[in-house]
Formats: sequence, structure tokens, C-alpha cells
Amino acid sequence: MREKETTIYLGPQHPGITGNMMVKLKVTGDTIVSAETHVGYLHRAFEKLMEARTWLQCFPIVCRICVPEPDPNEENLSRVIEEIEGREVPERAKYIRVLVLELSRLATYLLWMGGQSGSMGLYTMPQWTVGDRDYILDLFEQLTGGRVYHMYIWPGGVRRDLPEGFGDKVLKVMDYLEKRLKDYDDLLFNNALFYKRAKGVGVIDKAKAQEWGVVGAPLRGCGIKHDVRIDEPYEVYDKLNFIVPTYEGGDVWARAMVRRQEFEQSISIVRQVIENMPGGDFYNKIPNPLNWRVPPGDAYVKTESARGEFGYYAVSDGSLKPRRVHARGPAYVHGVSLLERILQGANIADVSFIMNSLGTCPPEIER
Amino acid sequence: MEVKLQVENEILDKIKHTFHSAEVSIPRKQRVEVKLRNDLIHPFLAYLKDTLGFKHLSHISTVDWLEENEIELVYIVMNYDNLVEVIAKIRLDREKPEIPTLREFWPQIETYEREIHEMYGVNFLGHGNLTDFILEDWEGIPPMRRDFDTVKYAKETYFNRPGREDAQDVRTTITKKSGEEIPELAKVYSVRHLE
Amino acid sequence: MEVSYDKESRKIVQAIERFARKHSLWVLAYGTGCGAIEVPPTMTSRYDAERFGIRGAATPRQADVLLITGYLSVKTLKRVIRTYEQMQDPKYVIGFGSCTINGGMYWDSYNTIKLLDMYIPVDVYINGCMPRPEAVISGFIELQKVIAEGKAEGARKYKENLDWYRANQQKIIHNWNMPDYNW
Repeated sequence: MREKETTIYLGPQHPGITGNMMVKLKVTGDTIVSAETHVGYLHRAFEKLMEARTWLQCFPIVCRICVPEPDPNEENLSRVIEEIEGREVPERAKYIRVLVLELSRLATYLLWMGGQSGSMGLYTMPQWTVGDRDYILDLFEQLTGGRVYHMYIWPGGVRRDLPEGFGDKVLKVMDYLEKRLKDYDDLLFNNALFYKRAKGVGVIDKAKAQEWGVVGAPLRGCGIKHDVRIDEPYEVYDKLNFIVPTYEGGDVWARAMVRRQEFEQSISIVRQVIENMPGGDFYNKIPNPLNWRVPPGDAYVKTESARGEFGYYAVSDGSLKPRRVHARGPAYVHGVSLLERILQGANIADVSFIMNSLGTCPPEIER
Repeated sequence: MEVKLQVENEILDKIKHTFHSAEVSIPRKQRVEVKLRNDLIHPFLAYLKDTLGFKHLSHISTVDWLEENEIELVYIVMNYDNLVEVIAKIRLDREKPEIPTLREFWPQIETYEREIHEMYGVNFLGHGNLTDFILEDWEGIPPMRRDFDTVKYAKETYFNRPGREDAQDVRTTITKKSGEEIPELAKVYSVRHLE
Repeated sequence: MEVSYDKESRKIVQAIERFARKHSLWVLAYGTGCGAIEVPPTMTSRYDAERFGIRGAATPRQADVLLITGYLSVKTLKRVIRTYEQMQDPKYVIGFGSCTINGGMYWDSYNTIKLLDMYIPVDVYINGCMPRPEAVISGFIELQKVIAEGKAEGARKYKENLDWYRANQQKIIHNWNMPDYNW
């Protein structure tokens, strides 16, 4: 019997889709022949709104570009402004920024673990990891006042100093997460079902990976060792000891293994930061923010977010407001052109599985 | 402390040697900035990718220079071996922005070009799939162009909740309702006060 | 089948109906905006919304509550209207976050709607950007109260004023190619 080709619309209302987007699939049986992504459901015109706001007013906007992981956005925008303006950042502020970025990476990985196992029907894992993520969000709440959106990193430093006894609290949470990691191993990473399900699924060709614009954990999962924290050290990453794990295979399993090891590395970075935290100022004060002109110029800076290279290109024309701020999220490539390519030949049941492993984040694609 | 820019200078020399008309500069470590003639972007990126090994396309951005009647396209490519990023800039005529597509170099360029076409109205010749990407059934001028007034459009198109008309400074509404005065101290930080 | 009751027994039946409805709120899993990030913590172990009878449902036809988690772009609004019309009675809408109330920080955006209740009827609003899980749960409890009092009449309002809602919706959705549902 010849199998008929059918069109299936997955999303935007679908529990497996990571956010508000749609994938149009052409299938025969349950094998995908071709996939077409449809995005734009979350377009809020941030880049247009930023052109109508002063530089400092842009900060509440940029953190909303990527919902699960807002801090790299703030850090990037601060750093791009600092680079155009030539503003120095105190050493303590740099350490605090790294602390915030690594905590945010841990929180994102916890959410990812939940999503990854939830998309294959293992619902215990999200109950654990999303619950544990709240310990980190509580830290953020004490530090910044916000659970999800922090608006904490500013040009010239950070908004507030660390509260009293914050370091000990962070270390306590790190000890807890390290202990919990054993449980996660037992349930997910050493689970034969997960291995069988993930091995050989969503394979990215190693030879093509760089050309296709793959970044972050998916690139390291192809066995290529690249990390912005090493390639172009920002803040104080050049003073910290950590390794960049890689894994061969390029499939969902390889990405999971890379992230699993990075989770440990992040915990170690957080400990180093707390240990080496210098004293002094945390903020190089900017002038009256409503009358603050950034000199003309442009710059491109990037951060290693939990999902890959996060870049900001900003242009200033010397006025109160930015001429242009453009965010480049890893999901812009991963979630559209790469996803369409690696879904070919996959099984329908693996769509959200693969999307989770690539870290697709629709609000960052359309902004 | 003097920063050594050996790799950057080598790249600068190579580019200058091949493309005489290009303005090349090194803004900082790991960055090389190139300003090009419009018709050279195609051979330039081919040269970067195939000869100099700039395999990774980081970003394509667009800047609308309304006053100069030009649209600037910014291509940022990276070399994974020496970790340098080249920022290549070209300027198109704003009235009729047209440029051949570059999608044969990097497959993901297709997405960028679709978005730029939609948001700025730049026509990529030979692209073949310049359909709606983010917006749906959009009429009128491309929204990211600087002469498109988003406040006016939003006010005309959508219903607004009463009391939100003067959203520029919410404090005036609050003081009007409560009958209290803004303290002198706070007035310093008012946007209206500055203008 | 219509059964006619006298006034007294009708009251009792209604009370039982409302009691049952308010303790089984199945929320449609549709993350329309950034508020979707606070839904997993609400549903999982720490805040555990299931103790209030709140659970996720996969498809519109099985769901009772449409949680609009944040701003709606015009493109999403079209899908939300269709989703809402597919849902079966009883159905309730919760507007989640400041941006559904008055546009919030997107007040000048060309692509997001500013007033959700002009397009679909809203029973309860939860303010904040973004609302904490506690606020979400308190919003649901408010909805339960409204249901118990019999004031959650959004779906009826929508049916009675369909023309008015349609006119508002079609003002911004230019290409109206959606089916009409016969409830």
C-alpha cells in the first residue's frame, strides 16, 4: 500500500510546543517528509519600541526578549553600551554579573531538564526540577526583587550590592543542587529509556554544523569545542577555572550530556565567584539617565547564554535614544532554519523532543 | 598595556590587498570593520568564507538612516580558528533598496533576509521566498522603518483603556486624580521637564 | 434534554453545578505570551495548583479555562478567538498580566492589542508583570468565587453580543478566513 502524504499543523496551541509557534509538517505514516516553521505569534516590536525610549528605559524591554533566560540580554545591552561609551565597570560588579549569569544558566538548565523529560512522557522530572529552580528564583528575588525579570544589570555595573549573607545562601543552594544532581542522574541521565529514545535522534551533521550557524550546546554536542566564554572572554571569565565539555554524536543524547556536564561546571563557577568576590564599588554611576547621551558609534558584543551565542548589535547616533538595537538569539537560527532541516526524516513523536533539545525559544526569534 | 593586534592586522592587510576600495579599520581586539561598495558584498563574503575561513555567520542587522536616505546592512561573520569577527557594512538607497540574495553562502541567511524584507522593505533579488515571516496581512509601509509612527498607528488601530492616553508620564495622571503635587525633587527626573 | 424544575429545586441543582464546576478548572495549555513561564511553577511541586482542582488540558474542547498569559499579537489573537470558540461551555477566560489589561509596557507597540475584553469576554484579570504564582492562584480562587456566585457569564455575554465582538475583532484582523461555530 502506498502511503499518503498528510499535512499536520503542530501548534501554536499544542502542549508539546516550546512556546507560541507552529510547525507545519508533511508526513507519510509517522515519518516527517518536510517541516516548515511559522513564527511571529509573539512579535511585540521590541526593537521599534527601543528606538522610542531612552537608553536606560530599554532595560525593562530587553529582559523580556527571552523569557526563560532574561539575564544575558541585560548583560549584553549593558556591555554594548559600555563598549560604545568606553565606560569602566568595577571589578566587584563584574563578579556579581558572572554570578547572576551562572545562576540564570543553572535555572535555564533545570527548566530544560523538565521540558526534555516532559516531552517524552516522564513527568516526575519537571516536578522535581521546576520545583528546584524555585530555589534559584528565590535567590534572584532576594538579590533583585524580581523572580523572573530582574532588570539588575545596568550600564556601569549592577543596580544593588549583594545583601548580607547572600554568599552563604548561594552556597547552600549549590550544595543542594549538587546533591539533587545524583537524583537527576538516576531518573534521567542514567535512564536506559532516555538513552534509547535520544540516541540518533535529531542528528546535526558535524561537517555542516558551523556553516549552518549552530552554536552553544548543540555545537559542542557535535564534538566542536567552542564557547564564547573562552573564545572572547567577557566580564571575569578569563580569571575562572572551568572546562568546556564536548561530546560526539550531534544528537539529542549528546546535547543532553553536554548540558549535564555544564551544569556541574556552572556550580563550580558560582562557588569560585563567591570565594573570590572582591570588595569595593559595584556601580560606576551614569549621569542623570533621562539626560544621558551615548556618543555616536556602534558595537557588537556577545554572551554565551544557556542556549548558545547571544549577540547584541547597537548603534548610537549621539542622541538620548538608541538608533538601533538588534538582538541575535541562538534560537533565531536553531528554531527556524536548523529545525526545519533536522526534522526531515524524524518521527512525529520526536518533534517537541528535538525542539527542547535545541532550546527553541520563540519570543527570541521574533522579539 | 599595549594590545597586540597581529591577527587583526593580517586580516586587514589581506582585505585591503584584495578589495582596494574598502575602508577597513580595527575598532578593538577581535573585531575588524569593513565599509564596502554595494556591489562588492557578494564577492567579499565569498572571499571571507572560502579563502579566509570565516565560516560562521553571526548576525545580519539593518539600520535605517532616514536623514541620509540610506539603509545600512551589517553582516557579521566569524572565524572559528582565529576568533575574529568581521563586521561588513554596505549602504543601500532607501527609495529602492535592492541587493542580490546571499542565501547560497549560508542556508540560514534565508530567514534573515525574509525578516529584513518584511521589516525594512529591502528587496533581495533571486531569494524566491520573500513571504510573510513575522507579520500577517500587513498593509502599509514596513514597520521598522523610522518614518513609521508606531504610537500613532497603535492609537488609531487599537482600543485604549481610558486613563492611559497620557502614558508618557503616568505621574501626571496620578497627581491629577489624587490632587497631590509632584515634589520638586522628583520633577528633576521627569521627561517633560527636560524637553 | 431539557428538564423543567420548580424554582426551589432549580436553585439546589445550580448550587451543585457551580460547586462541581469551580473545583475542576481545566486550563488549556496555550502559552500565548511570556506569562507562560510562571505556569510551570504554579502547576508543579512547589505551588501545586492541583490542590485547587486546577489542571492542564491538551485541547480546547476539553478545557474550561483559557488563560491568556500576556500580550496578544494580532496574529495570535486570531488563533485565540478560534480556540475560544472551539471551547465548550462552561468556559472562562483569565487575563494574565498587565499587558492584557491596558497594554502594559507594550502600550505603543503596533502589533499587540491593548484591551483584551474588547475582543473576548474576560472573567478575571490578574495584574502584574509578571504575576507571581501566588497571584495566579489567587486569581483562580477569585474565579472560583465568581463561579460560585454565578457571575461568570462571559460565554453567555459573548453569544449575545457576538456582532459587537465580531466587529471589534474584524477591525484589526483583515483576512478573516475562519469557520463559524454553531454552539
